[in-house]
Amino acid sequence: MNQPDGQGYITVSLPRPLVERIEARIRGTGFASPAAYVEYVLGEVLSDDPNPGDGFSPEDEEALKEKLRALGYLG
Amino acid sequence: MKALVLGLDCAAPALLFDRYADDLPVLSALRRRGAWGAMQSCDPPITVPAWTVMASSQDPGRLGIYGFRHRKPSTYTEGYTVSSTSITVPRIWDYLGQRGKNVIVVGVPPSYPPRPVRGCLVSCFMTPDGRPWTYPASLGEELRGLVGRYKADVLFRKDDRDRVLAETVDMTEQHFAILKQLLKTKPWDLAWFVEIGLDRIHHAFWKFFDPTHPGYVPGNKYERVGLEYYRLLDSRIGEILSLLNDQTAVLVISDHGAKAMRGAFCVNQWLAREGHLAFHEEPSTPIPLEQAPIDWSRTRAWGWGGYYARIFLNVRGREPSGVIASEDYERERDRLAASLAAVCDPSGRVMDTRVFKPERLYPVRRGDPPDLLVYFDDLSWRSAGTVGHPDMYLSENDTGPDDAVHDYDGIFILHDPRRASGGHGRLDILDVAPTVLTLMDEPVPPAMQGRPSEVVG
Repeated sequence: MNQPDGQGYITVSLPRPLVERIEARIRGTGFASPAAYVEYVLGEVLSDDPNPGDGFSPEDEEALKEKLRALGYLG
Repeated sequence: MKALVLGLDCAAPALLFDRYADDLPVLSALRRRGAWGAMQSCDPPITVPAWTVMASSQDPGRLGIYGFRHRKPSTYTEGYTVSSTSITVPRIWDYLGQRGKNVIVVGVPPSYPPRPVRGCLVSCFMTPDGRPWTYPASLGEELRGLVGRYKADVLFRKDDRDRVLAETVDMTEQHFAILKQLLKTKPWDLAWFVEIGLDRIHHAFWKFFDPTHPGYVPGNKYERVGLEYYRLLDSRIGEILSLLNDQTAVLVISDHGAKAMRGAFCVNQWLAREGHLAFHEEPSTPIPLEQAPIDWSRTRAWGWGGYYARIFLNVRGREPSGVIASEDYERERDRLAASLAAVCDPSGRVMDTRVFKPERLYPVRRGDPPDLLVYFDDLSWRSAGTVGHPDMYLSENDTGPDDAVHDYDGIFILHDPRRASGGHGRLDILDVAPTVLTLMDEPVPPAMQGRPSEVVG
């Protein structure tokens, strides 16, 4: 799963048999590579995560809440 | 072929294509040379989901993003704000980076905290003051030398509109200066820019320039604010276009439209009156729902406010003090949906309210979708979640100035230098990213739900 060309990407190693199974699965599907398929599947899995982590610090979160409230997005 | 996307948050067809068109020489000329029309937004037509849907070609259900804030699991009113870390699917610039293309991303929500791209990124209006705002981090220093401290957004002040206007214009000038600098000095194949200032102008000044708004007063001092701000955008876009060669496609686009706000409807007070929500003691002054003494053991439903209402049912086994048994859930939800659809405005007229079950809008529903999505009076009435008001109807936003609400249709103007003209058409928000990739002669990834629009031929 080597994708060194995009700066937003890092390399993750997968066992060869798994990669071979992915290659068989994506044949003819439009997924350009096992990497593209793995990225898609993991994105799907992580979208369901109800607690996606810490985008904002607690203080920033409070300030942002007030701003969004003033803008009418919360109420 | 390169592509430049110029996002004007909240740009409205009625202003840009009609009322102000004769005063916008650059955009009107681009329209004559390209395809143009309404950009059909997503449900809900709200900034953060909409730009993400547009850039990823995934609907809000697949993204698990239904608004600016989301509920924390197993809580009633606690939430977190959606950030760039909430987006787990690739956006168009991620795909292009992977294919060796360089990108410039400026102000596309949500992009704080800044995440790596192949190229450079300036984070969006949600960037907290003084926090990192660029990728790479060194770009922040480079730009600061040119444009000063980053103005991510303006603060709303109901009592000082002059200042809101002056700060919005300053901010917009800075954002265009940043874009200009990056286009001139960085390698790029795709540049995607979003200016938030127009949304702020609409929300703060709409009633001053829209004669159909109930609060409009002819001859008021802000009567020309809308026109002058659109002219500012037109002029700055003209300067940007003069930097491009004939190998660059241009898409001017908004994430949703805007229209006059008729008022705010206090959804939780209505739920209390209808017996769905119970207080230990009824508040006598306006307070946010999270501060209200709610008796959850006797509450069957509650709502979150905003430009649309999210209704949650208090379900046994799902909520901490859930009261609705799972076998009663559908019946309760149907009954509540029917009552919401029959809500009247203060004159006694039944509002044109749309009530959606999320499964009707989204084939896949990730994250924490509400049990019902409600657009009061076809979005013309905002939903207020606060309680303790003397009346269920507020003539203005309960939390600040707000003259405009969101509308489904945004705008698009697409100019492909290989085609003389395109004519009038509609563009679905899911089709935007596939359309841009096609213009760039790039393949459309199979994970994208949309397809290249026919407007590009």
